[in-house]
Amino acid sequence: MEIYLPIAEQSMNVFVLLGLGAAAGLLAGMFGVGGGFLATPLLIFVGIPPAVAVASQANQVIANSVSSLQVHWRRGNVDLRMGLVLLLGGMVGSSAGVWLFTYLKRIGQIDFVIAVLYVVMLSTIGLLMLTESLSTYLKRRRNPESPRGKLHTHYLVHRLPLKLRFYKSKLYISALLPVGLGFLIGILSAILGVGGGFVLVPAMIYLLGMPTAVVIGTSNFQILFVAANVTFLQATTNGTVDVVLALLLILGGVVGAPIGSRLAAKLPGVVLRGLMSVLILAVAAELLVELLRTPASPFSLGTREVSP
Amino acid sequence: MRRLVVALVASLVWAGAAQAQGPRVEPPSAGLPPSVPAESTTPDLIVDLSRARVSITSAFQGESILMFGMFDPPGEVVVVVVGPEARETVLRKQRFLGLWLNTGRQSFDDVPAYYAIAASQPLQRLLARGAGGEILSLEDRMSTVKPVGSRAAAELASFRGGLVEVKRREGLYPAAIGQVTVQAGRLFRVDLPFPSRLPEGVYEVKAYLLREGKIVAAVSRPLPVGKVGFSAQLAGWASHDGALYGLGAIVMALFAGWLGGAIMRRL
Repeated sequence: MEIYLPIAEQSMNVFVLLGLGAAAGLLAGMFGVGGGFLATPLLIFVGIPPAVAVASQANQVIANSVSSLQVHWRRGNVDLRMGLVLLLGGMVGSSAGVWLFTYLKRIGQIDFVIAVLYVVMLSTIGLLMLTESLSTYLKRRRNPESPRGKLHTHYLVHRLPLKLRFYKSKLYISALLPVGLGFLIGILSAILGVGGGFVLVPAMIYLLGMPTAVVIGTSNFQILFVAANVTFLQATTNGTVDVVLALLLILGGVVGAPIGSRLAAKLPGVVLRGLMSVLILAVAAELLVELLRTPASPFSLGTREVSP
Repeated sequence: MRRLVVALVASLVWAGAAQAQGPRVEPPSAGLPPSVPAESTTPDLIVDLSRARVSITSAFQGESILMFGMFDPPGEVVVVVVGPEARETVLRKQRFLGLWLNTGRQSFDDVPAYYAIAASQPLQRLLARGAGGEILSLEDRMSTVKPVGSRAAAELASFRGGLVEVKRREGLYPAAIGQVTVQAGRLFRVDLPFPSRLPEGVYEVKAYLLREGKIVAAVSRPLPVGKVGFSAQLAGWASHDGALYGLGAIVMALFAGWLGGAIMRRL
């Protein structure tokens, strides 16, 4: 069954889009991060213009994070103060990101930048996850009763000025760090159409040293507002948000997420992370091949401008 | 429409008479309106479209519009469909440090969004006989698009070729010349294919009657192409009031996400 997407200006199979949404939802349910970083490249693979894929995906991220935030808010797993500090950077970063996006689109380089950023990011994260899950797996096989490490270690970052106390996270760190992190995630969010949870979550754990329990809730808090900002700015400056596309992805996600969380409960975390890293690396490899392979045609068209 | 019905009836009668009595016979003149003259100075060419417009709805997957009509034989029919003109920018990829990225660009003005030709005989043969001047093959039409800025002729030709290539891939410049089917020597029909990614605007469908390579009659029909219904509303909203559309998109996602989360926890 085909449906016409009014902003992408093309028709697309409904079930392909629902399936993509379900796959993203599955990942969201399994790992607690939005599936945007996989859904956006997949949308591009099926032929949605990258600019529309990114902007509509940001729209979908809102729905994803609000349903996750509901749960974590109720459990009290949101460090509001940390969330707001992150958001400060996130709002500035995402606004700058949309501006950069618009500029790159005008000079005809947005597709290339999106592909390159995805390759770099996905392969880095995929490799990190793969080595981490492999080493954990091997360690556990050798020594199943390995002792827990320290809560977190102290680096140079703890000596920066503007220190703030984050009670819920049991942290006393410089506000510059979460602001900077939020800024970077905001840029990623705007250019790649992702919530950025897959970067934000590890960064919050390993870089800021936040306790795992509050990480997902807090990151979803920041992602919700950043994604809303990106959606609004993309709609006003580029007009590339396709709500029909976003709604189909959201519907698919609603189906996929509970399946994902049920799977996550059954499989051990190491196996899950291992599987996910393989999936991420596969998408990165496909994007890289697209960049390296001689294209069927070197030509493409920019935006059509109807003369006044 | 009435004129067409009358003409069709007349043609049937005429065809019947022709079979009985040979090729050049005067049609029965009794009761015929003056619009179908027995011996006309300008040969008649009557056309109509199966649809008055191309409506892009939520279920739109591209569409085929039928143009049909009647002409005074002898002659050949050529149909040209031209989409609204606009500026198009062609981007060209090159390998740079092993990666393919856009390194060149060239804009052209006056590029038709859509261009298709159909003919009742191979077009080259029709046009080679000195036909038209007005009827342009795609290649001739594309040679008239105006490049923005100046550039070496070879480069321009390369970009122009690229423009045609991309449009062809999108089904906007059908590669093959369409077939105008002629029946009973004077009724014709032709299917005009429109792909799913169709730019909006008023298209022009023009039918020509050619005799010995010369245009003896021409009829033009506007064919508006536009989104209708839900998709028209959304697209209009998005382009005229981006802020409101953006807020609407946010509210939609918030509600859908909240509802989805609520349902998920019940299961």
